[in-house]
Amino acid sequence: MTGKRFKTIAFDGLLKNNPTLRLVLGTCPTLALSTAAFNGIGMGLAVTFILICSNVLISLLRKTIPNAVRIPAFVIIIATFVTIVRMVLDKFIPSLYDSMGVYLPLIVVNCIILGRAESFASKNKVLDSACDGLFTGLGFTCALTLIGAIREILGAGAIFGYTLWDFKIEFFTSSAGAFFVYGLSIAIFNAVYSKIENVRRSKTFALRIMPKPDVSAPDNLDPDAGNEENANATAEATAKEVK
Amino acid sequence: MTVKQFFKSQAFKCIIVLLVIALISGGLLAILNDVLYVSEEERTMRAIEKVYGKEMKYEELEFSAEELKNDYGSISKVYLLENGNYLVQSTGGEGYKGGTITVWVVLTSADGEFSGIEKVVLESYEKQTLMSKLSYDVYSAHNDEITGDVYFTTSGDGIKVLISGATYSTNALNNSVDCALKFAREVLFVASADEEVA
Repeated sequence: MTGKRFKTIAFDGLLKNNPTLRLVLGTCPTLALSTAAFNGIGMGLAVTFILICSNVLISLLRKTIPNAVRIPAFVIIIATFVTIVRMVLDKFIPSLYDSMGVYLPLIVVNCIILGRAESFASKNKVLDSACDGLFTGLGFTCALTLIGAIREILGAGAIFGYTLWDFKIEFFTSSAGAFFVYGLSIAIFNAVYSKIENVRRSKTFALRIMPKPDVSAPDNLDPDAGNEENANATAEATAKEVK
Repeated sequence: MTVKQFFKSQAFKCIIVLLVIALISGGLLAILNDVLYVSEEERTMRAIEKVYGKEMKYEELEFSAEELKNDYGSISKVYLLENGNYLVQSTGGEGYKGGTITVWVVLTSADGEFSGIEKVVLESYEKQTLMSKLSYDVYSAHNDEITGDVYFTTSGDGIKVLISGATYSTNALNNSVDCALKFAREVLFVASADEEVA
């Protein structure tokens, strides 16, 4: 895997196609488990582990599994890893196991995992699929932790269980508060992302219409003189393309 | 389709692939289930740690199914702890949307008689949405009033405990604590007294 490919997968998973804030996938655990930042981290890491393992295995078996039964096969593989995570959490981190409750077994039907298995792992190489699982999972974890932290600070006056102040607005611990914070987070994230993307696009556009002067040409001693015509011609061509 | 054609068909390949994946997954989970098994003793110790913050020796007490049920709810586990207190897991109903709340109640005794509630700790709940509003220390704060046939209530006679805005959930919590209280008064400490007499 090349460095450029790695960067693309990482950028896609964390920002461009962030499952929670851009694609609005996995909404059920996001709303239910974002009451505290610790719960968000726990759920996010559990999903990340399952995403990596299922992506790797599905990518390995992509040429063996017949197309007609790929979805049931994916579901069996995902369910196996979810059950393993449940057993491990119940044994070693019972407090997290209790706080995740019914949403832990429900990871089986989490559309992020099945979505990545279907759209990426079943069509790409093992290492690419593992990276995709890692960064999509980390994107989900960051979003969940962020929403959890906002709700915990405003709703309980605490962060990661440590009390900050007595002031609390209980609305943020309720279901309505979860929708409110989730919606606001999506709006802010997309506004910031669009702004950055627009700046990046305009820079690319400016580079396209203002190519570097050709200093090697003997009859073109004044670089600005000849390039003005070139720039105008390129701009016209680009404008036509855009139209 | 002949038998030979079936064995060479795509359908047969699909069946075999799914079967192999299911068998390998099942085998792996069976092995891990043995390795990561959490025993009943371990779960009880976790509950005691949740209540007291440390491990403690305990003895499980057994009662009949009738003794474990009363008007307020049902008792699922009763333990005698090494410090002489009783740890009871109690479930009360009639909460929000008819849901339930399950709590651990530590019952204290003085001279072999029931003397009050030391602690109430939440174990689990069903269908309740305003659990963060509920307070659990309020029950032990009323120990002086827990005499005779007095119970916790959201309205009417008794010790009034009502969290504004979470009336139904408070009702379920009151019921679960009352269930433990009734069990202590009518079964647990009666049985203890009988044992002492014998």
